[in-house]
Amino acid sequence: MASKPQHKDRVWQVAVHPRLPLVASCSGDKTVNVYRGPDLELVKDLTEAHTRSVRSVSWKAIGAPTLAAGSFDAQVSIWTNEPPTWEFMAMLEGHENEVKGVAWSHDGAFLATCSRDKSVWIWEVDESNEDFDCVAVLQDHTQDVKHVVWHPSELLLASTSYDNEIRLWKLDDDEWICVSDLKGHESTVWGAAFEPAPPQPEQDTGEVPHARLASCSDDMTVRVWTRKGRTGGTQPGQLPSVARWDILAEEWEQECVLPTVHTDTIYAVDWSQHGIASVGADGRLAIYTFENNKWTVSKIVQNAHGVYEINTF
Amino acid sequence: MAEPINSNPTVLEEWQLPTRAETKNDCVELELGELARFSLFSPPPIAEPEADAPELTDDEIEPIDAQEIFDLIASISDPEHPLTLGQLAVVQLDRIYVTDTGSPDEIAKVHVEITPTITHCSLATLIGLGIRVRLERSLPPRYRIKITVTPGSHQSEEQVNKQLNDKERVAAACENEQLVKVISQMLATCK
Repeated sequence: MASKPQHKDRVWQVAVHPRLPLVASCSGDKTVNVYRGPDLELVKDLTEAHTRSVRSVSWKAIGAPTLAAGSFDAQVSIWTNEPPTWEFMAMLEGHENEVKGVAWSHDGAFLATCSRDKSVWIWEVDESNEDFDCVAVLQDHTQDVKHVVWHPSELLLASTSYDNEIRLWKLDDDEWICVSDLKGHESTVWGAAFEPAPPQPEQDTGEVPHARLASCSDDMTVRVWTRKGRTGGTQPGQLPSVARWDILAEEWEQECVLPTVHTDTIYAVDWSQHGIASVGADGRLAIYTFENNKWTVSKIVQNAHGVYEINTF
Repeated sequence: MAEPINSNPTVLEEWQLPTRAETKNDCVELELGELARFSLFSPPPIAEPEADAPELTDDEIEPIDAQEIFDLIASISDPEHPLTLGQLAVVQLDRIYVTDTGSPDEIAKVHVEITPTITHCSLATLIGLGIRVRLERSLPPRYRIKITVTPGSHQSEEQVNKQLNDKERVAAACENEQLVKVISQMLATCK
């Protein structure tokens, strides 16, 4: 639709605001650009915050437009738009080295960050974006954590890693714990995305709420995972965790490996109303749809970015 | 530097390395023929080109080949010996694989297998990174560069391969000043 030669180096990620016509991009040129639709006019370039490549950007879905940007300089900057200015709110420090992913939870209450230091950090944020508390440092991955992504309506976080695994994390009372470990990919898992899901009633109906995750990898496959079971998760007002008989855990199963399209590393995957899309180093954009209980490839765009690699949606 | 990891490597002389002239004599003759056409003494005819001779234009498809890649990387210096990667046979012509139609609109592939002089060479990733930087600087962006160690030539083969082909790690390494300095020294001997 539109083409924007805006950065002086490779663009690592773009993020579309969930409600507002805003798009952010981050780049190896150490800057973040913010564009406003429908013409994607450049409204702000956030420079001078980071001393190295900015790898990841994420919009908070709630309140005034707020952006988190994670950089190879091991820091995460937070920006809020108080028209007409963009205000620098905070610099989150703590990771030992390159931050590779940042993501806000659907309710805007938490920010997850991940790094080459093999850890995932979860920060609790107040509404004014002034107060960030690190509430968890999760160190279960054995290698770089490449990407973090939240479920669209639950406080369920997925992280993907150079250790070929995907881990799922949930809040158990006041502690974040690993509730599932998805094994199947044969090389680095570069990205993942949950299927869009309407908010579900939180009372226990005895049924496992439907949830699916798509993941993409250096092994050149896209895999789809389905939630099969869930235990624990005492709600506020119910028994405290010490009296619980069940442990907080989720059971996920690999539903399938999508038909092979890519001939090189797949860097990003996402869902749309039509199905799943994936992009990668081979310059291909692939769209898969779910019909008659089967995933099929419905479209392949060759060289979607000319001869360049594609990093993001 | 401390004691070299491999203190007594096998060394090839410069003249033993493969070159274009040695492998493709007819190619050189053709180039000489081309030159003659532009000589002042016998200006090339303005007449129409021969019907069956391929015409050289700006869009001429010009794929690169393994020899060109070899020429780009064989002159890189080894990080611990005063020798080139070609002389140490860390890079070898027959371990360079190129898939290239020459079309500027198509992605092309270059795969270089490096052969460390010893199987526990801790500098293998540095050497691989140096080669990657050299190729990325020299080749247009349509080239996908893959660098691996020759199967069986390194005890941590899988780890080294994974690291050398993770573009995020490579990008991060290329922002490390000390590493960039070492690589610049390695590349200083490139023609």
